[in-house]
Amino acid sequence: MLGALERAPCGFLTFDGGGIVLSANATLLEMLGVAREVVVGRRFETLLTVSSRIFYQTHLLPMLKLQPTVEELFLTLRCGENGDVAVLANVARHEDGDRGIYDCVFMRLRERRKWEDEIVRAKRVAEEANRANSALLSMMSHDVRTPIGSISGYCDLLLMGIRGPLREEQRGDVERMKKASEFVLGLIDDILSFTRLRAGEVARFDMKTIDVESVLAQTETLMGMRFEQAGVGYERRECTPELKVVADPDRLQQILLNLLTNAVKFTPRGGKLTVSCATEGEWTRINVADTGRGIPPDHIEQIFEPFVQVPASAIAGGGTQKGFGLGLAISRSLARKMNGDLTVSSTLGEGSTFTVSLRAPDSQAPSA
Amino acid sequence: MNNEAPLTRALDLCGHCGCAPVTGGFLVGDILSRNNVKVFGRGRQPMMFAHGFGCDQNMWRFITPAFADDYRIVLFDYVGSGKSDIASYDARRYGSLEGYARDVLDICRALHLEDVIFVGHSVSSMIGVLAANREPSLFANLILVGPSPRYINDSPYVGGFERRDIEELLDTMDKNYIGWANYLAPAIMKNPDRPELSAELSDSFCSTDPVIARRFAEATFYADNRADLARLEIPALVLQCADDIIAPTTVGEYVHRELRGSQLHYLEATGHCPHMSHPEETIAAIKDYLSQASLPLDSSSERANRKTERRRE
Repeated sequence: MLGALERAPCGFLTFDGGGIVLSANATLLEMLGVAREVVVGRRFETLLTVSSRIFYQTHLLPMLKLQPTVEELFLTLRCGENGDVAVLANVARHEDGDRGIYDCVFMRLRERRKWEDEIVRAKRVAEEANRANSALLSMMSHDVRTPIGSISGYCDLLLMGIRGPLREEQRGDVERMKKASEFVLGLIDDILSFTRLRAGEVARFDMKTIDVESVLAQTETLMGMRFEQAGVGYERRECTPELKVVADPDRLQQILLNLLTNAVKFTPRGGKLTVSCATEGEWTRINVADTGRGIPPDHIEQIFEPFVQVPASAIAGGGTQKGFGLGLAISRSLARKMNGDLTVSSTLGEGSTFTVSLRAPDSQAPSA
Repeated sequence: MNNEAPLTRALDLCGHCGCAPVTGGFLVGDILSRNNVKVFGRGRQPMMFAHGFGCDQNMWRFITPAFADDYRIVLFDYVGSGKSDIASYDARRYGSLEGYARDVLDICRALHLEDVIFVGHSVSSMIGVLAANREPSLFANLILVGPSPRYINDSPYVGGFERRDIEELLDTMDKNYIGWANYLAPAIMKNPDRPELSAELSDSFCSTDPVIARRFAEATFYADNRADLARLEIPALVLQCADDIIAPTTVGEYVHRELRGSQLHYLEATGHCPHMSHPEETIAAIKDYLSQASLPLDSSSERANRKTERRRE
């Protein structure tokens, strides 16, 4: 009754809506090493290994109820003297009167299985290494941060004069120690944030309606001294107190601090930073523009990759590299986790504008 | 008096590294979009349907029309399944079934649900039990389709599987997602102007991210919720299929024994998905149970009284 299918170069089998096998071709019987009567009349899932039976019940069967075909499924058959037989299966449902009939085609996997085993093994090793790597980074950062924090704190004690008055040279030395320790603390904070984001562990976002102006004002207070030290001008435009977004205020401040710190770093003395805001439909945009050297077009998307900075050789007049290149990766990830985004536009030699896009409160209505 | 000691001690401690475990709160405020919640129906009492491992709320499409006239139907996808917001996935939260139970409670609170009839398939049966144990006041009844509190044998308890079976399942899942990706990649590359191809194929596996699907499988099949059964105060119906390899009859009977005041209904349907393979029989069993339970109830105080009576029994 199978006609030409009987000797087709692949296994073929049909079963009904109750899972009872109606027919099987000779190729499949030889593949399994069983007689036809062993297979026909049995429930299809009993031809599978335990793990494939679970997959059949939890994935394949529901899918076949919702769609007419399922293709390229990896399954393992087990019922005859040939032991486990790994196959790729295509299954199609058709209606025969008022009952569903399922046609299955099986391609035996030999060489390919070896390679797929190898891929799965390599994937597991990579996942494990990634987990271990993140754990190590996180632990190291934590263990290094504590003593560096102490160094910074003791510098404060000395600068406050608690151990007695400092001579001018001593004060200068301690201030340099303090600055260096704060720089290292910043790097460690970046690593901690990045490893947590990558591990999907930052789950506590306090999303609420906030006004952009107040977050900007706090950020400016923290950045004021740096603008002065770097000799760059700062101006805020078009950010009215009425402008609101749905975001976690601390995370938004973290993003803005990252962007302004970056802008200060890459803008030469005498340059200028400008923050402006705009509303476009459901989006509120916060733009941080600088008059730095700009980003070469072929590096523009790379800068959001972790551990990537524009090489000094790619920037006209050279440039300085500080940090791990994690700030923008973290900032974009934070923006996206708040349902927004972080993008950049840049003109080489003229400067760059980073844009944080966040949803306005009215666009956050429930969908159900 | 020396006041410096506390100050210097404080400096030696880790005060600002944020190493404290993340607790409470959630990443995205909008729970309804996070879990792709759908609400419909003309009734007042909520009937919440929770899908099992491997698929999404579409599983219930053959069942819900039969209840839409009399109940308020609530459907959702667990984070990582269906059209949920995958960006909300938190490995720590969803590393165990408790995290998924919190999703159920989040949805109940977001929609201000009370007297909920919770219908859970497979692993969602236990997720429902965990949710009802945390917040019993929210639930009226649990309907457990193919429940299993533990899938791995633990003599004398027989769950049906050995640990190596589950390890093989994870292997099978990995290979299927790899095969699926191999199949998908050329299809997309050849049709860059048809991004819907990607969506169609992603839909076909319900869980869109293989890493999340694997973690959900681990949370499901390595779980042991036997001790949680005895704590349940909510009346429950256990629907048991014939020839169910995932939740064998002995397991359904175990669940029934451990759940005080529960009912056990044997279905003629075979396999693990009676709501898809035998929807009429499944609907009839649920309706029969709900009519016996005289639902919907008139008032919450009446329900509270009945609960007390059941506990006394």
